[in-house]
Amino acid sequence: MSLLPQFLIDSILLGGLYTLMAIGFALAFGVTRIINFAHGEFIMLGAYAAFWLFTGWGLDPLAVMPAVIVLGFACGWLLFKAFIERVLTAPNINQILLTFAIGLVIQHIAVILWSGNSRSTTPEYALKALTIGDAFIPYGRLIGCGVAVLLVAMLIAWLKWAEDGRAVRAVAQNSDAATLMGINVKGIYALSFALSSALGVATGVVVSFIITVTPFMGFPMLVKAVAIVIVAGMGSIVGMVVGAFVLAFAETGFAYYVAEGSGWAEGVAFVLITAILIIRPYGLFGDAEA
Amino acid sequence: MRPELFLRWAGFVLAIAVLAVPFIGSPSLADLTFRTCTLAIIAISWNMMAGAGLISLGHSGFWGVGSYVAILCANHFGIPFLPSLVFGMLGGAVIGAGLALITGRLRGIYFAVATLAMSEGLRVIAVMLPDLTGGAQGAYLNSALFPGALAVNIAASFGAVVTACLSWYIGRTRYHYAFRAMRANERASQMLGIHPMLYRVSIVIVSGAMASYAGAVSVWYGGYLDPGVAFNLHITLMAQIAPILGGIYTLTGPILGTLAAAGLGEVTRQWLGHVEGVSLLVFGVTLAICVLYLPKGIQGGVDRLFRSVAKAPPADDSTPTRTTR
Repeated sequence: MSLLPQFLIDSILLGGLYTLMAIGFALAFGVTRIINFAHGEFIMLGAYAAFWLFTGWGLDPLAVMPAVIVLGFACGWLLFKAFIERVLTAPNINQILLTFAIGLVIQHIAVILWSGNSRSTTPEYALKALTIGDAFIPYGRLIGCGVAVLLVAMLIAWLKWAEDGRAVRAVAQNSDAATLMGINVKGIYALSFALSSALGVATGVVVSFIITVTPFMGFPMLVKAVAIVIVAGMGSIVGMVVGAFVLAFAETGFAYYVAEGSGWAEGVAFVLITAILIIRPYGLFGDAEA
Repeated sequence: MRPELFLRWAGFVLAIAVLAVPFIGSPSLADLTFRTCTLAIIAISWNMMAGAGLISLGHSGFWGVGSYVAILCANHFGIPFLPSLVFGMLGGAVIGAGLALITGRLRGIYFAVATLAMSEGLRVIAVMLPDLTGGAQGAYLNSALFPGALAVNIAASFGAVVTACLSWYIGRTRYHYAFRAMRANERASQMLGIHPMLYRVSIVIVSGAMASYAGAVSVWYGGYLDPGVAFNLHITLMAQIAPILGGIYTLTGPILGTLAAAGLGEVTRQWLGHVEGVSLLVFGVTLAICVLYLPKGIQGGVDRLFRSVAKAPPADDSTPTRTTR
């Protein structure tokens, strides 16, 4: 028997999740041009929301997802209005440090409230798996990937056809021109940031039944999202999908085919970031203007 | 002129005090001084790179490399304390040169992300090469080579003073203006005859070597190292907080900020030390408040105070124009 089918299945399922994670992150970055270093913490908060609702009230993570998304949207909007809006025109360094600090604060509030212990959400489907031939497909990952693909498809449709979605794209392309077209640019910034946060918590809900939930889970996921965006370049959704799958295949490949690979796989994102920054600083699909 | 003379004396007295503490201070004071000195070194080092427009989110990488080189020198080759510090600095310088060359023209956010990637990548390497580094379980420093707490404390104090002097010296030369020009606009600075790549590589080498020195001294102080300790994000955070708190892009800022951050750290440790995570929470809140409300830090506040004292009669000539509106 070969590892290949299993490798392909794992990579594809992981790639779907990574797509959701990266697109959520990239939405705020692409529109406001501020790297939100607190995005990982939104993923963490989403995972905790799913965990507490599941253990406290026995609610299924998928059932509570819409409510959690609405909550994440509200939190993101408040965060933008309270803090991010003040540094929109500030130097890069202030923006980086501010979001970094916000992430740190959220993370350590979580540590204080819920301790650093690892937890996991275990709805029934998270423990079962489907077997096709030699390949082993955990239902949790399958459902997670399905939900991720659905959410990403909804976002893309919204960006393509909805009035607000088109405004978001216009602002991402050129905020000055968008202003001249009568678009409320600050409003679109707030909307994108809030939506990005909502997708962040949605990612958290999905991963809550796939990986363990800890206050520190956000940062590695943030780094992966950053890696994907760097691979993709700015403003290309296709690029984002490709980047997510490149990372997923590379990580899974390392874990499967290299000795002690699952340890090294953690470093794949960093190697990818470095490699792309050297070869093509604007990403595979970005253009030099961005 | 007055404030500058005052500052020079204050700096001189502070340097003497820092150098004297290892000899005459109580153990707890010496411990506090040690931690403050290593913090000062990384703060000044971070500020130096920031001054050239290079935002580092990877200072823990330099620190970790310094630590690992020092512990490797001691455990594998039996190299004693002082030479191991030199090798640690060399390690940081090499990593710095590599980082600067690889990142080439990257600026702002992209450079910051690359530094972050470097530091986390190094951590993965440290975890995955257990034969060399002790892996995730960590390694203890060869205690036979331990030069005594006094020597380690002196090394930290000395390092902090030298770092501050170096940063003061650079601030007085034309390099200072070159870095400032690069920070404002690298392409335009090129037109002024500045070679950005050369300056960038040299500043990252110097800054990296400094941070590695702090890491190398710390491993001798603690005697134990694992990847989590060496490449702790906390180090990166502290390297940023001190200059931001004190006043970024200035000479005195990182030093003032280090003192303030060390004080803040002590207070939180005394009052709330038993709650896990609270100290980083406090630092995060401090960082956010500084960025939002005090972008020039303590130094900026002090400057404003001096200016208003210097010309007291027509004080605040900017405010009336605003109120008449």
